[in-house]
Amino acid sequence: MTTAVRTSPSRTEVLRAPRVHAVPLRTSTWVALAVASLVGLAAFGWPLVVAPEAGLAHAADAPVVLGAVLAGLLLVVHLALADGGMDVKAVALLGLLSAVGAVLRQLSAGAAGIELVFAALVLGGRVLGPGFGFALGTTTLATSALLTGGVGPWLPFQMLAASWVGLGAGLLPSRVGGRREVTMLAAYGAVASLAFGVAMNLSFWPYTLGAGTDLSFVAGAPVLENLRRLLLFSAATSLGWDLGRAVTTAVGLALVGAPVLAVLRRTATRAAFLPAPERAGDTSR
Amino acid sequence: MIRLEAVSVTYPGQASPTLRDVDVSVAEGELCLVVGPTGAGKSTLLRAVSGLVPHFTGGTVHGRVVVDGRDTRDHRPRDLADVVGVVQQDPARGFVTETVEEELAYAMEQLGLPSDAMRARMEEVLDLLGLVTLRHRALRDLSGGEQQRVAIGAVLTAHPRVLVLDEPTSALDPAAADDVLAALTRLVHDHGMTVLLAEHRLERVVQYADRVLAVGPDGSVAEGAAGELVVRVAGGPPLVELAALAGWDPVPLSVRDARRRVAPLRARLAASEPPLPHVPRAATLLSAHDVHVRYPGTHAVRGVGLELAAGQVTAVMGRNGAGKSSLLWAVAGAAPRAAGTVLVAGRREAPAPADPAVLDPREARRRVALVPQDPGDLLYLGSVAAELAASDAQADAAPGTTAALFAGFAGAVPAAAHPRDLSEGQRLGLALAVQLAAGPPVLVLDEPTRGLDYAAKRVLARLLAEHARAGGSVLLSSHDVEFVAQCADRVVVLADGSVVSDAPAREVLVASPTFAPQVAKVLHPLPLLTVDEVRDALAVTG
Amino acid sequence: MHPAAWWAWALGIVVLAGRTGSATVLTLLALTALAVLLLARRRGGPAPGAYLTLALAVVVVRLVFHVLVGVPGGGTVIVDLPTLEVSWAPGLSLLGPITTGGLLSAVIGGLRLAVMVLAIGAAATAAPPTRLLPLLPPALHHLATAVVIAVAVAPSLSAAAGATRRARRLRGLPTRGVRAVAGTALPVLADALDRSLALAASMDTRGYARLLAPRDRRVTPLLLGSLVALGLGTYGLLTGDLRYGLPGLAVAVLLGAVAAGLAGRGPRRTQYRPARWRPPDLLLACVGALLALGATAGVPGGALAAAAVLGAVVGSVREPGARYREALA
Repeated sequence: MTTAVRTSPSRTEVLRAPRVHAVPLRTSTWVALAVASLVGLAAFGWPLVVAPEAGLAHAADAPVVLGAVLAGLLLVVHLALADGGMDVKAVALLGLLSAVGAVLRQLSAGAAGIELVFAALVLGGRVLGPGFGFALGTTTLATSALLTGGVGPWLPFQMLAASWVGLGAGLLPSRVGGRREVTMLAAYGAVASLAFGVAMNLSFWPYTLGAGTDLSFVAGAPVLENLRRLLLFSAATSLGWDLGRAVTTAVGLALVGAPVLAVLRRTATRAAFLPAPERAGDTSR
Repeated sequence: MIRLEAVSVTYPGQASPTLRDVDVSVAEGELCLVVGPTGAGKSTLLRAVSGLVPHFTGGTVHGRVVVDGRDTRDHRPRDLADVVGVVQQDPARGFVTETVEEELAYAMEQLGLPSDAMRARMEEVLDLLGLVTLRHRALRDLSGGEQQRVAIGAVLTAHPRVLVLDEPTSALDPAAADDVLAALTRLVHDHGMTVLLAEHRLERVVQYADRVLAVGPDGSVAEGAAGELVVRVAGGPPLVELAALAGWDPVPLSVRDARRRVAPLRARLAASEPPLPHVPRAATLLSAHDVHVRYPGTHAVRGVGLELAAGQVTAVMGRNGAGKSSLLWAVAGAAPRAAGTVLVAGRREAPAPADPAVLDPREARRRVALVPQDPGDLLYLGSVAAELAASDAQADAAPGTTAALFAGFAGAVPAAAHPRDLSEGQRLGLALAVQLAAGPPVLVLDEPTRGLDYAAKRVLARLLAEHARAGGSVLLSSHDVEFVAQCADRVVVLADGSVVSDAPAREVLVASPTFAPQVAKVLHPLPLLTVDEVRDALAVTG
Repeated sequence: MHPAAWWAWALGIVVLAGRTGSATVLTLLALTALAVLLLARRRGGPAPGAYLTLALAVVVVRLVFHVLVGVPGGGTVIVDLPTLEVSWAPGLSLLGPITTGGLLSAVIGGLRLAVMVLAIGAAATAAPPTRLLPLLPPALHHLATAVVIAVAVAPSLSAAAGATRRARRLRGLPTRGVRAVAGTALPVLADALDRSLALAASMDTRGYARLLAPRDRRVTPLLLGSLVALGLGTYGLLTGDLRYGLPGLAVAVLLGAVAAGLAGRGPRRTQYRPARWRPPDLLLACVGALLALGATAGVPGGALAAAAVLGAVVGSVREPGARYREALA
């Protein structure tokens, strides 16, 4: 009712937002991420590569062992990320976006196949950069597990997979804009969420099912044979669910992608991560 | 303690500075009030003192800001944490942890204090702010006043020398605001704390202020004694206006001061006839009978009946948790009620009276519209223009209807602005315009005055009066006695979910010790509520 | 109670459950974990529903698949179902005879996973994992803070979502369907984003990250070394090559710990109520270590299970006294 208007970024500023890196990544951090991803891939795909004579192939506590390995891996990677320094605004944003993701996950847990948390990860990583996306994946899944009682050996797997989803979203080509950007994100979101489901199945299928059935994991069998069995197992169990989730993610992104990108970019612009305070007439430095 | 030397602040992307050539200093142990119109730069001044400008917000700062010998140029906000304590406008948004004790310990943990010192300070602050009984409670279960005191405690544990508060009482009911202000004055008087405080609701705080900094619309800052400067602020508190009318100089800043001087004025006014209660006997637009609202564990509204007549503005008052919001939402048919009936009159196209909770939401909002406590809840699009256009389409109104209504409340606002970047008043105006676009006769507003300055409140009061004059009816809940005195015809007081009194506004407000506006307190026992009424009465008596 | 104590106990049980093949031991462990979980729940821990459901689900899934796809196993045939060949999936046959041996192996396999789930659920209920966050190395303070914030604000975001949904009704908009979900999520998100800036300002003025150690050049190479060692350790685990497996992991832990120590050096933040190890906590943690080591070394499961029960009793019984002492302190 008064006519005063507070500072607001102009519309053009919002539309051609510069690439933001809310969590800066230095070269050494990239190397750490790459090495960690390789180790992580091996841990995820262990049923395909494990040698039959390895103790892991038959031990029932393998998920715990590999979960511990991945938990350690995440700790080290996040040490590397934090070593690059983190703005307090990035920390607060990470907290709030994780809470949004966790609430979305809670809301959608009931309705089969509707998991909007991937949409949140994809959009967060896209706008705030790969480093932030990676951190967001970890914190979102951790928060969700803490809130709903989902802490277990599967959690490090979920955290790493979600972090990859956020990281990948941050690495998508930055020049794509407008409708094509939303389409690209929707396609990426669908693929990523499907891959997430398959990867989780891959790591835990040997335990869910146990040994000896026609669909069971056979240590040391040819990769294709195990893949075939995994595919059949997935088809029998969670594939429909995973496909539903992929579709939901894509539809959700197509529907809210553009406005969410706009509000995220508005915040990113306002936050001005790591602002270098300008000081007119400053002679002291 | 605080020194600003030739300070100008310009935010990135802005042509003109928000603060211009500010040269002020605040001595140790002063309670200094920052006043000024909305958007003038009060918050920027506070942020410059805490170092948030420019380290956090970006922007360019000319000149020097020195707090307790530390130059904000070389000290980030976090390096000033043990010197300046900052309490933001909405305390709940600044909480990091879940419980009171954790929150109070947070700053001490960041400063790396040893465990014994932490325990000692914790007890000290809990006692000082009366938080002992709350220490293990969850932050989100606290009332607004309790949250505000916790927020103050959370910065006090760092033992700052300066406390900076942005509108600490504007969202609180009178009792909670008194608690917070009492705590602040105790800090100033007994502990020599320097307090810098921005506030809209001057009537509450101006009596405690040692000095006033007035931020002008151009970004200049004038300093002076409370009595001199508050007069200059456009539309000051009622006492100041009354003083201007009566020609009192210096201006009394508390009811007590004014009552010592009021005898001649009262004598003149006593001769005048008290204004007649304006009770229109018109058609009933909405009638509610025996309404009950229950939540798990509480019985929020217990058998309330209410008739809303055309041409009337009804205010619901009462403590926090008395059931005001629940009643409003139930009456508007927007929240479930456990028992009772609500009937809202029909319109020409659909004449039968009906229960708004049963009606299709699209039809219901054509009869009764509710503006929630946070008007931003109603807004979900990315720009004012999009919001206005969507509103016309949803209300089946002619294009431009909402825009015309909005312009009537808020003046010129850039169409591309994000609704979240609007001032509180503008946002309320937008939400009101959206809800009025469907042309509902009954308008329900939940705490509409939160965060509004005097100018915005006057516009809102005028608007509600116009809606009533045009044959509508207004039901609002408010803690703001001055606003209620200004606009309500009738006051319903709720306590513990039941109606305690339901009478013409004048009867309720003049008699009540908690709900009496300043003018009524000063002129007691004359039944006058606002400065406008005093002015009219004086005009009659000559 | 030190929050890590229950987790050490739970991890010990997990290792033991993975190694033992005895249905008796597994049942005993499951009952113990269940008792701890339910007791902790009665004392006001978080709802353990998810763990109970999951534990039940893993057993059921095993049994269902056993019947559906058939597990070859000895013993007597209980029900002789016909075998169906699936034409489009060569090598896959459905149903088939159900035998006692197969059924037992399915139950044991399911029970084993159920014990793991229940043990972790018991730890999560008795010592909520949020309390583990302060135990993270100081160098991960940012990450831990983000999670603390997220856990603290999530309930109010849920409430905000409710308020927005009610406000949609006020505008006469639909409250169901995909569009409605999007229309609800957007304002909540926008509000959360605004809130994050307010929160950041509040943290900044209260000294957040004020005592951050300066960057240490040695940290990065150490972290990279740790990752490479972790990679070698994983390789060792997967190939069964003992030269790499455990030594690799040990080196990775060592390098990571040194890096974390270096990165978190300097003046420290402090904790208002730091977790302390008291004798019963130590005992509980020792039981955990004993279980893990004993199971790996082949100590009979029965003895270890008894130790697990003892630990659970010590941990659960101590609680009331501890509460009394904490109330006095």
